[in-house]
Amino acid sequence: MSSRALRVGLAWTVVLVACAVIVVRADYTGDLSAFLPRSPALAQQVLVEQLRDGPVSRLLLAGIDGGSVEARALTSRRFAAALRGDDAFTAVSNGEAQATAADQAFLWRNRYLLSSAVDAAAFSAAGLRASLQESLDLLSSPLGLVLQRAFPNDPTGEIVRLAEAQAMQSQPRVREGVWFAVDGERALLLLQTRAAGFDLEGQTAALERARTAFAAVQGPGQSMVLSGPAVFATESRDAIKRDSTRISILATALVAALLLLVFRSPVVLVLGLLPVASGALAGIAAVSAGFGEVYGITLGFGVTLIGEGVDYAIYMFTQTAPGTTPEKSLERIWPTLRLGVATSVCGFAALLLSGFPGLAQLGLFSIAGLLVAVLFTRSALPLMLPAGFSVRIAPALGAAIGRALRVAPKLRLVVPVAVLGAAAVMLAHRGAFWSDDLASLSPVSAAAQALDQQLRRDLGAPDVRYLIVIKADTEDAALAASAQAATTLAVLRDRGTIAGYDAPSDILPSRAVQQARQSALPETDVLRNRVLEAVRGLPVRAETLAPFVGDVAAARVQPLVGRADLAGTHLALKLDSLLREHAGRWTALLLLRGVRDADTVERALPGDAILVDLKRESDRLYQQYRDTALALALAGAAAIVALLGAALRSWRRVLAVILPLAAAVTVTVALLLVLRPSLTIFHLVGLLLVVAVGSNYSLFFDRLSVTEADLSRTVASLLLANLATVIGFGLLGLSSTPVLHAIGSTVAIGALLSLVFSAMLGAPPAQGGAVPA
Amino acid sequence: MISGRSGLLALAVLAWCTGVADAAEGGPAELDLLMQRMASVKSASAKFVERRELRLLEKPVESSGTLLYTAPDRLERHTLRPRTESMILSRDMLTLEDRARNRTRSLPLQQYPLIWAFAESLRSVLAGDLATLRRFYEVDYSGDAGNWTLLMRPRDAEMRRYVDDIRIHGSENVLRVVEVNQTGGDRSVMTVSGAAREQ
Repeated sequence: MSSRALRVGLAWTVVLVACAVIVVRADYTGDLSAFLPRSPALAQQVLVEQLRDGPVSRLLLAGIDGGSVEARALTSRRFAAALRGDDAFTAVSNGEAQATAADQAFLWRNRYLLSSAVDAAAFSAAGLRASLQESLDLLSSPLGLVLQRAFPNDPTGEIVRLAEAQAMQSQPRVREGVWFAVDGERALLLLQTRAAGFDLEGQTAALERARTAFAAVQGPGQSMVLSGPAVFATESRDAIKRDSTRISILATALVAALLLLVFRSPVVLVLGLLPVASGALAGIAAVSAGFGEVYGITLGFGVTLIGEGVDYAIYMFTQTAPGTTPEKSLERIWPTLRLGVATSVCGFAALLLSGFPGLAQLGLFSIAGLLVAVLFTRSALPLMLPAGFSVRIAPALGAAIGRALRVAPKLRLVVPVAVLGAAAVMLAHRGAFWSDDLASLSPVSAAAQALDQQLRRDLGAPDVRYLIVIKADTEDAALAASAQAATTLAVLRDRGTIAGYDAPSDILPSRAVQQARQSALPETDVLRNRVLEAVRGLPVRAETLAPFVGDVAAARVQPLVGRADLAGTHLALKLDSLLREHAGRWTALLLLRGVRDADTVERALPGDAILVDLKRESDRLYQQYRDTALALALAGAAAIVALLGAALRSWRRVLAVILPLAAAVTVTVALLLVLRPSLTIFHLVGLLLVVAVGSNYSLFFDRLSVTEADLSRTVASLLLANLATVIGFGLLGLSSTPVLHAIGSTVAIGALLSLVFSAMLGAPPAQGGAVPA
Repeated sequence: MISGRSGLLALAVLAWCTGVADAAEGGPAELDLLMQRMASVKSASAKFVERRELRLLEKPVESSGTLLYTAPDRLERHTLRPRTESMILSRDMLTLEDRARNRTRSLPLQQYPLIWAFAESLRSVLAGDLATLRRFYEVDYSGDAGNWTLLMRPRDAEMRRYVDDIRIHGSENVLRVVEVNQTGGDRSVMTVSGAAREQ
């Protein structure tokens, strides 16, 4: 080994090891803030917070089918009991009475501060008389049996009101003591995972435990359906993983077989992958060093984008004819390769300017990856090739390429015709080019979505789309604002605009409200006189109500109820999910159920309460993200034209390079629009790659007539690179997962068109130039 | 409704049989006959007057109205005096309607075991459903077909904190008096009259 080889080897080892260290230490995040602009609007912040760890993102809806009603109810009870003992779940509801002694004691102890019925009018003689009368009527109903013990302490029935308010929160049909769907066929449960929405691993584990627990208790013929954000998230991830693994294995095998056929050496095959591997390593390291964390989405798209790096090795290998050395062929193609890389870097550089961290990371990743891949190809790869390596091109292939190259330019009219056809398709396209609906990217099947909606309706579970957010400086201010909004919501509920709501202020009233209630309670002497007046004509003695007078006296001076008083109750769990502090600010969430008219709710709400439409916000966010990417891609295209102008110093040649590329992109977009209603951000990423890969083709064709003697060998290398790309991405295009399908089909179509159009628009070779070596 | 707990029920029935096998000679056979007679009734209606004596209250309160039973599991009690109020027991749901206050309460019985037990003391006798009755109560039969008494003591410890016993007097397949004796001396007596029924 020469000393130069030693130095180069050493330098690369150091660089790559350093990269590997950074890569191992990097923070990887599946965080949605990749999609979030650096300075998001409030509603968008809420969206991300909710998706990350909001109470709704932690809900699982479960249904038990099969067997008799009794058997389903029994399984529901056993299943719930198993999950209640499992740390992965913070709440398990199936309709069984769950209010613990702690809950009851809390409500009883604080009933005069918690009950919304407590005000001055209620404690006037007339008010007392009315509520006494009602309690007496209840005493003569079957409820009387239970209520009569409480009567001397609570003759106004506050505890009944509190219990009823709790029961109002959600009321699916109850049969055999547990929740059932309205048709009585499916037993229903509502589970809350401890793992937050962003914690996909934790949620996957919780799902697994739920399924295992069910398997242990299920009766003959019974089955369970599960739905909720966690189910969707893990199913999507699994579908993508499954598809991409299967397809990558197949594609890798096919491409490897192809390259093996041409290069006839497994060692060379492996060497061909080294530039991309080094590039990916450097790309991740660069992003980690530059941003401090690496988004999962950057990895996914990034590795695709620097797929161009494989082509560098193919160009070099294929163009090493017998009798020359890799260094020599590299020397020959380097100017073209350099310009091709510069072109791609130029295109991706625009992404760096994006206000979305996800796009900026993608830009940096691709730039660093491509630069390292090409530098590796240039400096290290030739030294690593086996001595005397060369690629023989079959004479028949060479002749065929020569013929094709002579025929292709005669078909150059095909290109403008195709572009015109594409323009016609675009003009005739009804609806938007770009899909505005984030759901169009969702790999979740329509059947799964329908099941989710069905379960949600049956359970009366909180709406996943709408929720109300209140931000305040203190906990108390948040509760006060929540109470104000809840008043409005109660009216809307009675009118049928919404089916129901959950507000933190219904669990813990603000201090002001508690104080108001406290001061509405009369002094002991006054109360005693009012009781005397109220019982006149009623079959109850004033002395019987002495405990009531005593309890009210105690309530007048009792300390106000705070969060700590809820400790150990189910109510505490619920309050924690609806009222939380973040960086000194408090957020109150009001969950809605059965929203029939969101606009009416939005108009009716007080100013400080914001109705967040999570679907609208996520769609809007996605549109912003995509529009930014599109604008930056166009800016990148302009930069590429400028770069080519500076490098080639001839508008004619710039056009010769740009035209086939532009034509390929245009026709690709048209073809995609024929196949599907509109395009997504994944198609856009695919188009970026088409430009990056395709620019190399057209640059090589541009130089053919000027500098290349061994023309068919160059074209053979382009063909081989193109074939590898079309195989890899074409297979991806067969996937049913939207993201894989979109990128795969775009790149396969676009890369093929780029090569064909480049050949058609290139100058015909001089008659003697096409003789194969 | 019961099969889910059939194991428990079997045990309970077994305990009851061993407990009363050597008791009065007017034992299970006659009780079974009574229950069969009750079960043959498809629907029935009657007037009622109920008098409640509660220590909490200064004087007994009296209410009156109509009772409506439809086999196998619907029982309606419409109170007309002193105020209109309806209570409808249907399958596993108890609904209280207070029209004057425009208020309806629906109670899933399984969530309120006490109220459920209480409701079954009347409904399962009307339905002739001895199994359900025995799920909640120990039942003693005395008298003859023309003038019988069912003495029911709650099985459940929680229920025993509230109710000592419930006695139902009747003749043939008609209820006459339902007497509820609560712990601590509170009691209510419902007198049924003018029964009309369809078999």
